[in-house]
Amino acid sequence: MDNINTAIKDIREYSDLNLKEVEPITKINLRGKKREFFTKVGQILSIILPAESNTSTGNQELSALWLSPDEWMVYTNNMNKEIFDRVFKEISSLNYGAVTNVSDQWVCINISGDKLYELLSMSCPFDFSKFKDTKGSTTQTIINHIDVIIHNLGNNNINLFVRRSFSNHLWDWLNDGANLL
Amino acid sequence: MFLINCPYCGERDQSEFVSGGEAHIVRPKQPTELNDDQWAEYLFMRKNIKGIQFERWNHAHGCRKWFNVARDTSNDKIEKIYKIGEQPPKL
Repeated sequence: MDNINTAIKDIREYSDLNLKEVEPITKINLRGKKREFFTKVGQILSIILPAESNTSTGNQELSALWLSPDEWMVYTNNMNKEIFDRVFKEISSLNYGAVTNVSDQWVCINISGDKLYELLSMSCPFDFSKFKDTKGSTTQTIINHIDVIIHNLGNNNINLFVRRSFSNHLWDWLNDGANLL
Repeated sequence: MFLINCPYCGERDQSEFVSGGEAHIVRPKQPTELNDDQWAEYLFMRKNIKGIQFERWNHAHGCRKWFNVARDTSNDKIEKIYKIGEQPPKL
């Protein structure tokens, strides 16, 4: 379930930027519209999925990111696999919604530092002016033509999710950009 | 380049979207009863007007949802955005 094989075997530190891959980390994609779907997610994961666009919810162990009106991504560093086994058995197999393990599809890069949004804005069309001041906000956008999901952890600290096959390319681009700042 | 106000995510750059062509084209109820010209008309023939055109757009690099846009093709001004299934506005 967890991406034991890391994509980026590197940690970089610059004067105002720090980049590292966060691993191992479990990521589950949830899709559903039925009332039973939301009830089961609440019962099993103890979180309420965010209904408002570009927001997230979470508790001490899990974060749930809004991806679209009927799609969310839940991620955690918790190794408790029983919880996710229950999610699969009690939602997917009963047709209340779709549960997909995307742990190996997405690579999580943590970026922090004062020049974080300067770095992202070098090749991202998204307007970060409101985003950066709102802890817990999320967005899906493109950086250097690469699809990413960004979760704002507050205080110039984000988790950036990128598809594994693009992760090394984006990592190189981020470091090139950081060198120029 | 222009901004599109996704009905689900909010205002985003056009580069996050993919155009899906003309909207409100209804699939014939009995395709087998059409001749080749009528079928080609449905499949291939699209309006290409200067002025307000109703189009489908997909937020491909965001929420991946489809929606409709009434866009003035002469200046890329978006007059109205409405969800799939809704009736086109009278403009």
